[in-house]
This record gives sequence, structure tokens and C-alpha cells, in this order.
Amino acid sequence: MAKKLQFKRLIALTFFMALAFGGLGYRLVDLQVLRHGELAREARSNTQFVCRLEPRRGDILDCKGNLLATSVFVKTVCADPSLIGTHAAEVAHALAPLLQMNEGELERRLVPRSRRNEKGQLVPVRYVLLKRKVSTDTWEKIQDAMSKLPLGEDAQKLPKKELAFNAALRKSAIMTEPVDDQLRIYPNSSLAANVIGYVGEMELTNMNPPIQTLAGLDGIEWRFDSKLKGVRGWRVSEHDGHQREMVDMREQDIAPHDGLNVVLTIDSVIQNIVENALRDGLKEHEPKSISGIVIRPRTGEILAMASLPTFDPNNPGAPGTPPDALHNRLISDVAEPGSTFKIVVVSGALNDGIVKLTDEFDCEHGKFYYGGTLLHDHTTTLGVLSVKEIITKSSNIGAAKIGLKMGDVRLHDYITAFGFGRTTGIPLKAESRGIVRAVTNWSKLSITRIPMGQEVGTTCLQMAMAMSAIANKGVLMQPMIVDRLVDTDGSTAIKYYPQVVRRVVSEEADKDMVEALKSVVTDDGTAKKAAMEHYTVAGKTGTAQKAEFTFDGKKYHGHYGEKFYSSFIGFFPADNPEILIYVALDTPKGNHYGGETAAPIFKQIAEQAANYLNIVPDKDNPSEAPGAPAVPVAAPVVAPDQPIKTAEAKLP
Amino acid sequence: MVGPALKASLICFFILVCCVGYVWQKKQIAELSRQIRNQEAHYNDLRDHNDKLKKQIAVLMSPTALEARAKDLRLGLVAPSPMQIWRLPEPPGDVPAGTEPDRQLAAGRSGAVAAVMEQ
Repeated sequence: MAKKLQFKRLIALTFFMALAFGGLGYRLVDLQVLRHGELAREARSNTQFVCRLEPRRGDILDCKGNLLATSVFVKTVCADPSLIGTHAAEVAHALAPLLQMNEGELERRLVPRSRRNEKGQLVPVRYVLLKRKVSTDTWEKIQDAMSKLPLGEDAQKLPKKELAFNAALRKSAIMTEPVDDQLRIYPNSSLAANVIGYVGEMELTNMNPPIQTLAGLDGIEWRFDSKLKGVRGWRVSEHDGHQREMVDMREQDIAPHDGLNVVLTIDSVIQNIVENALRDGLKEHEPKSISGIVIRPRTGEILAMASLPTFDPNNPGAPGTPPDALHNRLISDVAEPGSTFKIVVVSGALNDGIVKLTDEFDCEHGKFYYGGTLLHDHTTTLGVLSVKEIITKSSNIGAAKIGLKMGDVRLHDYITAFGFGRTTGIPLKAESRGIVRAVTNWSKLSITRIPMGQEVGTTCLQMAMAMSAIANKGVLMQPMIVDRLVDTDGSTAIKYYPQVVRRVVSEEADKDMVEALKSVVTDDGTAKKAAMEHYTVAGKTGTAQKAEFTFDGKKYHGHYGEKFYSSFIGFFPADNPEILIYVALDTPKGNHYGGETAAPIFKQIAEQAANYLNIVPDKDNPSEAPGAPAVPVAAPVVAPDQPIKTAEAKLP
Repeated sequence: MVGPALKASLICFFILVCCVGYVWQKKQIAELSRQIRNQEAHYNDLRDHNDKLKKQIAVLMSPTALEARAKDLRLGLVAPSPMQIWRLPEPPGDVPAGTEPDRQLAAGRSGAVAAVMEQ
């Protein structure tokens, strides 16, 4: 009997144990096998996170390695309103001065509220953006302010739950985004602003969530944006219950590759010299704008490139910045160059052997009738002049007659050979190709106007490069503004070398041209104010009337008014040029002659630049001391002396 | 009688050591993770500090800042005139292999008279 009872109890126990274990087993299979995927995903989403690692945007440096643009990592400050509760006012009061925000606006953002999620459920808003681009110093002050935030509580009287809430508020209510943002800084303010350019924020909507990133909008920042921005990295890892990363659980850790640094050919000291001189010129002559460029003719390297009024790339849209200050006038603005363009017709005629420097032309005492129209010179005292004197005195009539002798087709060939009518290829935005009409579109007067720099539109850079060709023994170089791209460890990734475009004129013709240009900077010439004490300068002035138009309601009427474009381009030492400087003023007030306005500015820049670069004077030669060997002349960059083969140039 | 008991004890001891070793290893991993995390935060702080100093240097070395500072300190510094600079020409020596004639820059740009090549 007892045995039967025991047996029954055993069966019952076994049954219930089997039921329990069966249930447990079923649950185990259900969780670990049937719902494995779903639960594994949920577990992963609770702990796993993907963190973007932003690369640091590359720096922009001058040729000496001085910093022109750099990036610093900054914080994006955000808040969790659900942790703030009823203390929004206290938090706003503490943080508004640090974030430089309006206290009322800040309080409004910190007030807790709800939103509907994808499933339509009401959930608290756990993220509110407060401010971007907050420096790390300010963030430390914010953290300090939050840790000491007075909440009016008495620790003795408050319940534990509320004390914990306050502690969480102080510690976690205000936080930063896990990925630091970057702030682009230009330590030299507006120095070389038109060359460096500026950046702006761009939102990448193909990422989830969308991210803000810096993008170059102008200048070198724009042109080399893909090299400067670097390559993003990422990290897939897990965090614990306190949201601390568990480093041992990192699945993927791809380091970001920082952007390359761009080293320019610009020298910030020479850039500063140019900008100071232009600033003085702007004050004295009050032009609409003033521009200057310094080039090394043998290589085409641009040592300085400035245009005023300019802007501060740290704040390109600052109130008071003129809208046209943001573009680079030296490459975008097209103007009739005036007498500086005479170098084209004269050097071409010398190259073709049509004229020699000593050949004479009757400059008609300032009045020349051609094609039923009167062509003027700037003075009526110019009678018979040699070709050299045509350049010295800058006779329009003399240049026109040389143009007539040359012919329109040949003149057009030389215009295009000197690089006009096409972009120079400088790696900056919005370069204009200028205006050079095809010969078939020339009027019967064009052959007399174009040689003196009218009916043709050029940029400052085109004019400077053309004169550089004269300085470089007749060889046109491509302008260079970037020297190399450098990795973060200093190794050169990409190196740029001087590029020869073509030989425009022969060395002999070029030598004659330089002789003529030297005479401009003498007492007989139009640019005696550009003469330097220790260097022989060769150059050309330009004083171009600006075309204007009026509209009578039916059609436009063009005419030349009383506004001028004044310029001077010069290089020195004349026989072995080291640098070329071009200064141009748009609509100066008062005196408008290039020799009176631009030439003195040229001299101011040239003297300081010569000192800085330690250019050997050619007027006072120290090697003439007894026993001292002569200093040989450095070899210039020249292409082999061979005919120009470009189809459009057609020059011998 | 002792043999099997000893064997069982040894196995248990071995399992114990493995378990303790496993726990110790996990603890080490956690500790190293914490150190890595701290080092990375320290690295970021140093990087930020470096950026700040780099920016400071750049601002202090800018030509405008240097000019303003020289004016403030009233040091009386002016650029030398060309006649105040004595140039000592060096005798033309052997040009290093690979030197391109077109790379000759302005004499003295690097602070000394550059070697020149005759054409």
C-alpha cells in the first residue's frame, strides 16, 4: 500500500517536473532558436553603436610653411529636455551667457515636450540642438557651470528620487554630440582672402542621420576641397549600461585619413607688403577697387595676389562687406587694358622683323584720321617717334600704325599667342577668358584700336602673364599658385612644377622689347615714378578709358566717359628679372594716369619685396669691388628656341 | 582509495584555476579597455591643445601681428636698404647632380647667395 502511494507520488512529481522542464525547454528553444535573430538584433541595438570618425580638414600654408588656414575641433552642444524637468529657467540662466544665446530662446528649447515616433506612440523628446561650433574651452566652462548649477534644493529635505533626478540633470542633461565638428580658422584674417577662399556648411543627406560637414565655397578651399577634406573613418563598438564604450568589443575600427595640406606659392610677407601698399593706394586715390599681383616670371609662381576691398574669410558674410569683395577681381574682372597692351603689337612686330627699335613713325602730333574717325594721343607734342619712343611716350597713334603695318591676322595671332582670349588655367574659381573677337568680327577701326588696348578685354592675370613672357626671354609660363600637397607627416603627396606654355617671341625680339620697356621708367618715359634707386626697372603704364553706356528707352548707346582704369606692370632687374609686379586701379578719383597712380605703388611694393627677397641690385654691383669675381647671371627658364607650332598662333 | 580522490581533486583544482584565470583575464581586458578609453580621451585633449597652440603661433607669426607688435614695442626696426647689405659672392663650384637650371630662385632667398649655372 505504502509502496503504491510512493509510486503515485513519484509519478506525479515526475509529471510536474517534466511539465516544468518541458516548459522551460520550450521557452529555451523559443528564445534561443525560433526568435534568435530578432532578439539578437534587439540586443545588438541596445549595446552596439556606429561612431563616425571625422577626418581633420587639411591646412593651407604659404611657401614658407606659415599657416593661412587651419581647422580646430569644436563641440556641438545639445540637451536632453526630459532630464531637465522644471528647471529649464535655471539651466538657461546659467548657460545663456556661455553659449551667447538669448536666455528666453534657450529656455524655450529646454522645456520638456513629447513627439510621436514611427509607431505613433508619444515619446519624450530626448535631443535638442543648442549650439554648433562651441570651442572646447567654452564646453569646459559649461560642464563646470552645470556641475555647480543651483537648483534651490535642500539636500536634507528632498526625497531620494528627486536628488537623483537633480544629479542626473547636472551630469547628463547637457551633452555634446559624439562626433566633434570642425571650425575653419584663418589666423591672418583677410590676408590673401581672395586666393584662399572660404568654407561653408553642407548637409550630407545620404547619411543616416544626415551630417553637417565643411565644404570649400571659393578659392583654394573650393578648388582643392576633395584633397583637403580627407576620408572619414568609423568605429563599430558596444557600450555598457553607463554608456561607456567597451573597447574590447570593437568590431571595426577604421581610422580617418586627415586631409592633405596645400602649400601655396604665395609668400605671406610679400602678400602683406602688397596689401599694405594697396591699402595706401586705396586711401590716396579712392578707386572703386585696387588690385596687385607679384609673379616670378621664370617659373610663373605667384608670390602675392591681392585685391581690395576684400573680406575676412572667418566671417565672409559680415555686415559691411561689399558683395563684390568676395570674388577675385584679378581673374574675374575683365577690362580694356589700355596702353599696357602695346607690348603685344610692338613685340610681335619686332619678332616678325616688320620693325626695328630705331624705325620711325609719324605720330601726327596727337591726331590721326583713319577710317573716318579721329584717333587721339594723350598729348599733341608727339611728332616723329622711333618704335622705342612709341613705347617710352606711349603713343596710341604710333602703336596703331605699327598695327596697320602688321596686319589684323598677324596681330590676332600674337594676341592669342600671349594667352589672351583664353583662361590661364590657374586653379581658382570663376576665371574669365577675357574678350578677344575673331578677326572676322573686327571693324575697320579695330586694327588701330586693339594695339592701344581698346576693343579687347583682359584680366589682370592675363596681362601680368603676358608681361611675364617678355620678362622671361619671350617664353609664356602657366601661372602657378599651388606648389605641392603634403601629407600630415610632412611627405609630399603631389608636387607641381612650372609649366611652359609656349615661346611667343624670339630672344632677340624680346631683348629689344625689354630695352624699350626700360626707357618707360626714365625721365623721358611715362613711369618715372616707378624708377628704383638700386634696380633697373622695365615696365609699361596703362590709362584706359572705361566704356560706359546709356539707355534711351529704345537702345543702348556706348561711349567712353571720364572714368579710367589705371595700371602699371613692371619687372626688375630688367635684364635678369626676378619678380614682376602689376598694380591696377579701377576708377581712381582725381589723377588717373597709370604713371601717377599705379607706378608709385609699384615702387613701394618693389623696394620692400627686393629687400625681403634679397635681390641683388644691378645698378650698384658689389662684385665690382677689386678682386671680387663677377657673379654670373642665373639661367632663366626657356623653352628650346623653336617655332611656335600651335595651330592658332601660326607664328614663325 | 586515495588515487581516485586525488584525481578528482586535481580535476576540480584544474577547473577552478581555469575559472579563476578566465575571470582574471576578463578583468584584465576590462581594465585595458578602460585604459585605452582614457588614453584616447587624453589624446583628443592633447590634439585640441595642440590645435589651440598652433593657432596661437599662426596668429603671432602673421606679418600684420608682427608689424603691430614691433610698433607697440617701439623697437625702431626698419628694413635694411640694399646698400646696407654686403653680398659676398661665392666662387662657382660643382653643381650637385640633378639641379635644374630652371629652379634657381632669387639670390639669397634662403639667406645665402645661391649657386648659379652659366647657360
